[in-house]
Amino acid sequence: MKQTYGGKLFQLFNYLFLIAAAATMLMPLLQLLAVSFSSPIAADSKEVFLLPVEFTTASWAHVLQNEGLWLSFGITVYITIAGTLISMLFSVLTAYPLSHKDFLFRKPIMLGIIITMIFNAPMIPFFLTVRELGLMNSLWALILPGVIGTFNMIIIRTFFMGIPKELDDSARIDGCSDAGILFRIYLPLSKPVMATVSLFYAVGYWNTFSRAVLFIRDPEKWPLQMKLRAYLTSPEELAAVNLILGDYDFNTTTLKAATILFATIPIILVYPYLQKYFVKGSMLGSLKE
Amino acid sequence: MAERDNRLEPNSAYASALKPKSKENRFLANMRKHWMLYVMILPGIVYYLVFKYLPLAGSVIAFQDYQIFKGMQGSDWVGLKNFLYIFSYQDFYTVLRNTATIALYQLVFGFPAPIILALLFNEVRLMLAKRIVQSLFYLPHFLSWVVVGGIVFELLSSQGVINMVRGWLGLETILFMQEQRYFRSIVVISAIWKDVGWGTIIYLAAIAGINPNLYEAAVMDGANRWKQTLHITLPTMFPTILVLFLLNIGNFLELGFDQIYNLLTPMTYSVGDIIETYVYRAGVLQGQYSVTTAIGLFQSVIGFALLWIFNRMARRTEQGLW
Amino acid sequence: MMKQWFGKSARLSVLASLLAAALIAGCSNGGKTPEAPGDSGEDAKSVTVRVFKSHMGVGTIPDSSNDHVKYVEEKTGVIYEMMTTPPGSEPTEYLNLMIASDDLPDILRPIGGVEQTLIKQGGALALDEWLPKYAPNVWKNIPEEAWDIVRSASPDGHIYYVPKVYLVPERAPMIRQDWLDKVGLQMPATVEEYKEVLRAFRDKDPNGNGKPDELPTSGREFGKWMDHLFGIYGVAMWEGVPEWDIYEGEIQYAGVSKNMKASVAFIRELYEEKLLDNETFLNKGDVWTAKINNNLVGSWYHLPANLRDRYTAMLEGAPDAYVVGMPMPKAEGFEGYVTQKSMGEPEWIIPAAAEDKAAASLKLLDFFYDKSNDEFIRFGLEGQQHEVVDGKKVLLPPEDSRPIALGMRNLTTKEDMDIRIKETIPENMQKMVSDIFAVSTADARRIAGDGLPNTVYEGFPDIQSHKLFQEYLTKIVIGEWPIEKFDEFVDRWYKAGGDKVTERVQEWYSNVKK
Repeated sequence: MKQTYGGKLFQLFNYLFLIAAAATMLMPLLQLLAVSFSSPIAADSKEVFLLPVEFTTASWAHVLQNEGLWLSFGITVYITIAGTLISMLFSVLTAYPLSHKDFLFRKPIMLGIIITMIFNAPMIPFFLTVRELGLMNSLWALILPGVIGTFNMIIIRTFFMGIPKELDDSARIDGCSDAGILFRIYLPLSKPVMATVSLFYAVGYWNTFSRAVLFIRDPEKWPLQMKLRAYLTSPEELAAVNLILGDYDFNTTTLKAATILFATIPIILVYPYLQKYFVKGSMLGSLKE
Repeated sequence: MAERDNRLEPNSAYASALKPKSKENRFLANMRKHWMLYVMILPGIVYYLVFKYLPLAGSVIAFQDYQIFKGMQGSDWVGLKNFLYIFSYQDFYTVLRNTATIALYQLVFGFPAPIILALLFNEVRLMLAKRIVQSLFYLPHFLSWVVVGGIVFELLSSQGVINMVRGWLGLETILFMQEQRYFRSIVVISAIWKDVGWGTIIYLAAIAGINPNLYEAAVMDGANRWKQTLHITLPTMFPTILVLFLLNIGNFLELGFDQIYNLLTPMTYSVGDIIETYVYRAGVLQGQYSVTTAIGLFQSVIGFALLWIFNRMARRTEQGLW
Repeated sequence: MMKQWFGKSARLSVLASLLAAALIAGCSNGGKTPEAPGDSGEDAKSVTVRVFKSHMGVGTIPDSSNDHVKYVEEKTGVIYEMMTTPPGSEPTEYLNLMIASDDLPDILRPIGGVEQTLIKQGGALALDEWLPKYAPNVWKNIPEEAWDIVRSASPDGHIYYVPKVYLVPERAPMIRQDWLDKVGLQMPATVEEYKEVLRAFRDKDPNGNGKPDELPTSGREFGKWMDHLFGIYGVAMWEGVPEWDIYEGEIQYAGVSKNMKASVAFIRELYEEKLLDNETFLNKGDVWTAKINNNLVGSWYHLPANLRDRYTAMLEGAPDAYVVGMPMPKAEGFEGYVTQKSMGEPEWIIPAAAEDKAAASLKLLDFFYDKSNDEFIRFGLEGQQHEVVDGKKVLLPPEDSRPIALGMRNLTTKEDMDIRIKETIPENMQKMVSDIFAVSTADARRIAGDGLPNTVYEGFPDIQSHKLFQEYLTKIVIGEWPIEKFDEFVDRWYKAGGDKVTERVQEWYSNVKK
């Protein structure tokens, strides 16, 4: 493909801009990383910028040996995977009829759902409802009350509505039911949006916090974000050694940095993995061959 | 263009097959034919009734003098007293004006940002570069506002980068965070910085759905990159843009407490005190649940009215949310 | 494949509808879930008491087989069961939820005015009769004055809660002795001298790094932790929040007093001369701490008990660093002091619904106020709460897997503080910290508004949150507004409900004095 002079100039500026902006976005995490590998005194004196000062792995060694943190990690992984799967199922099942022109109550139901997006329930009645359902202290309380993210569901619906109806017709002639059309035609064509929405749900479940605060009393069921918050508010407990007594190569500042990263890095890694679904033109490619 | 219209047309073959019959028959025929659709949506409906509408009914406490110990049954009904209390608050109009102004800024600058960025990403030819840059843009979303607030304060402090550069240029140090004229820009820019990468994901998914053949055909017709963007990429993204726009409008007055709270200082109260920070002072800290709920209802009613208007407008050209 | 899937969905929907049916039934009953009666099983004569405390942090909640619990049970016949707020929650909100869902513990430590909610709505138990009978140690160890304040905080004059008592000042103005020595000045005795010292700090490079980066004195956002600058002019100030004290013969909001105007004018001058860190109102906690740690700040206000980590960091950059307490410099026509709040803050309250457990709850509480249990309360049991190192008991740090031990005593005397310094401050710093306390104690004064219940602010959130005050304070100090604007503030404060609040406070105060 030939490029005009203007096109080349645009490309150059585009690269420069994107790289510069991306660098600013990497910096805070790099700094956290540097702090987590620095000595306590350097960290407390804010000497650390992007590279560790007086390098030490003591904080990480200490954090990675923390069993409580791993327990919460396990819980978060569990609700993230289970929650995302259940949410995707519920959302697709709701979005498909709502995208279908032949579904009669489409408009009133849609309006009813959108109202819940704008009008939020007050906290106390919400709490009482979930409690009456017997979900207190159950991991289900972290999944069911938000199992359909309305925003996510609407995104799926919008995509479904963009799929040409001729596909429906031909599938129906081949003897497919509505469910068949959804699973054989719509879902395979919607890989990019499925990947997107799964990511949204997964990140949401990974960051589960406020619902856990309301509904989970048993510390052994605390998800990672809650454990993290516990450590950030009273970081001495993260140390779990008497800092007064001896010299350690970590303190609360460096431990906090390591713990934040511990709770964040896994979910960050999900995106590059899902990216491949955004790159290919996978939807309409199948239409016109 | 033609193709898009085609997609949005109701399924004419089925519509005509059903047409001649009476209304009831048509209903029954539809049910028989598409019964699966009606079964499929049941779990969703149950979910919305149980977890949304049931608690939402609790909003009646806005019309009560709700006393937590007595509960909803035991509390007195006070009519519109809580609303009057809010409207009689001496700074209410300042708070409302601040909220609306910042919301408008967010809409005008914040909303298009991820769209533009997605288009810029789309122009990156090197696959690897594209993937790396995209992944980096998505990082700040995972920082909490407490952390981002700290970064903003540091960046704009007397020792921060901006003032360092000003120093080199021989300019005076400005303490940006304590001057009200910079506050709104800081809010908008920091919000864009934090969430623009995250916001592009959804548009990238839309772009990923574009048939590459379309671009090839356009190139044959001699369309340059700009024309391709204008006539292929943007129109494909349009339904998504519209939906996101409408959802944004519906929550117009909800700016997010965390961001403002972490950027606000007493010196910027006069431009940065918004409904959510007022709710925090008046409702949460004073334990006045009725007042909190009343403010929430007020916000929602405004949001819903705006959404209603824009949705009608949207339906004229494209399709709305309902 | 299609059928298989569909079968699943059908089952799911049935399940979901069942769930819905159950819910609607569950709600229309309006019934409460039956509470399991708190029987203690094996030991019939012991009573289980549920104790609620916020922010207990990480660690496991001990069960009834825990040694600490057992020891307490042996002594009191009460098995304690701890409940706490989850980390990251807004504790007030959480307690309100417990009240709303009828799920109150037997005895709780209220926060954020929850005690007033309970008292007003008839949910708190009056303890006047119970205390002398079941909690004699609590009754006699807490000074009568504190009980009077508690009585004054309820509309009917009853004792509805056990107050916190803190008999030593927690905060102190501090100054770097090594800096004073370097600039060759004495400890300032008057405001003028203090200003001279600050100017010398600014100009004479006391931290010796050759850069003019010294911040003679500093504070934090919202005007927090710069109380010494207000205290010089006799302003009752608590972490940047004006308190209530006697001005012109009557109890008044310190924020609108003449003293406040004088101190704001003084602080404005300091800011203008760059004697006060010009980023004071932008300093978040960690930034402010880093400035002190990095030997940039000469004079500040904080908790001496927390000096350990700061001082360790200072020594890194300045091996001869030494911190001392600064007596309040004298200002002409004003009487300066360090604000002390000692009593009246609610510590324990018993819900009316838990009346049948009240005797046991108080017995439990009394155990912790009994002086003969001091050693156990402080150190707990060996292997669980402390270990013995070189023949000395050393507390173990909290840990995820370790059960938390209940503590209920919140009565701090000078003696307690001395012991705490010995236990938590390394030996080489103990004298320094004790000396700082001695200086601030000499200047400390309990303010008239000590123990004021926050119900006086009801309906006036901007007065309670001090929003109006903070806005005027900061804008005047940074020079955006002239000092004359202060009068406008006083005016607006009264109009925004300050007059009503003042009336309530004065009424409260006349009850206290009775």
